[in-house]
Amino acid sequence: MKRVVILFTISFLFLTVNGQKFITKNGYIGFFSHTPMEDIKGDNNQVNAVLDISTGDMVFLVLVKSFHFEKALMEEHFNENYMESDKFPKSTFRGKITNLSSVDFSKPGKYDVTVNGDLNMHDVTNKISVKGTVEVVQGGVNASSKFNVVPEDYKINIPGVVRDNIAKTLEVTVNMKYAPVESK
Amino acid sequence: MKRYVKILLGVVLFFALAGIGTALYLFNMQHKDIGKAKPDFVITAIDLQKAFEDNETAATAKYVKKILEIEGEVESVKTGEANVLNVTIKSGSDLSSVICTFVRVTDPAKFTAGSRVIVRGECSGFLMDVLMNNCVKIK
Repeated sequence: MKRVVILFTISFLFLTVNGQKFITKNGYIGFFSHTPMEDIKGDNNQVNAVLDISTGDMVFLVLVKSFHFEKALMEEHFNENYMESDKFPKSTFRGKITNLSSVDFSKPGKYDVTVNGDLNMHDVTNKISVKGTVEVVQGGVNASSKFNVVPEDYKINIPGVVRDNIAKTLEVTVNMKYAPVESK
Repeated sequence: MKRYVKILLGVVLFFALAGIGTALYLFNMQHKDIGKAKPDFVITAIDLQKAFEDNETAATAKYVKKILEIEGEVESVKTGEANVLNVTIKSGSDLSSVICTFVRVTDPAKFTAGSRVIVRGECSGFLMDVLMNNCVKIK
C-alpha cells in the first residue's frame, strides 16, 4: 500500500514535466446497495486520481473514512465492522486503458474504454476489468464508469443479522474530472 | 391471572418496548451536528497539514475521527457529485493542503479564493492532503 502512495506521489511530482498526465483530488466514487429491506448509499468526493494519456495508466487512491452515509449508524458499521478502516485506511486501483488507440485526446468527444487493473481494498487485491467512458472536454478529461463489486471477494464479512439489508453485489460509480497539471 | 404474572408480563413488555425504541433510535440516528459540537482541537490548516506530513501515524492517532476547528486561507472551491462542496485550504506545502467537504452548504459563493475562513469538521485522515468531512463554516 505504501508503495502505491509513494508511486502516486512520484507521478504527481513528475506530472509537471510532460503535460501528458491529468489529475484530480476531488474525484467521486460511490456505491449503492439495494435490497427490499433498505437502500444504502456511500459517497466519497475526495478521491485522488491520475491519468496518463500517453500510456493509459490510471491510479485511484481513496481514504475509506471519507465515505459519507445518510445515517450515522451506516457509516459506523461500514468503517468498524466491514471495511475495518482503522486497520486498512486506504483503497487503491491501478490499471490501464486497454484500447487507448481508440481515444483521440486532441478531439473533444466521448469514447468507450475498457480498463483492466488491480483493485485493492480491505487488504485484498483482485484483478478487475471494467467498462467506462472517457470524455475529452475543453481544458480537461472526464472519466466515468459503473461496475459491480462483491464484498465477499474482498473478505468483507457481513453478519447474518443484517445480511438481508445489504445487497450481495454492490454497484460502484466512478466520476472523475481531471485537469492537466500546469508546467511550473 | 395472578398478580405476579401480571407484573412479569408488564416487565417483559417494558423491556421489549425499550429494546425496539433503542433499536429504532440507533437505526435512524443522524450525524452529529458539527455546528453545535465542541471541537476537540482548534488548529491552523498549516499546522494540521504539517503534523500529518511530519508523522502520519502520530497525527492519525491524535486527530482522526475527532472534531477539528481549522483556520486558513481558501485556495480553491469545487462542486462535486450531488452538489457537494470541496473547499481546499492552503497549507505551507505546494503539493498538499487541507480539503474540506461540505454536504449541507452547497453554495460555492460562500467561499472565495484568498479569503480566510474558520471551518469545523471531522478529520478522516491523510491521502496527499488532510481530508475533513461533514464540515460547517464557522466564519
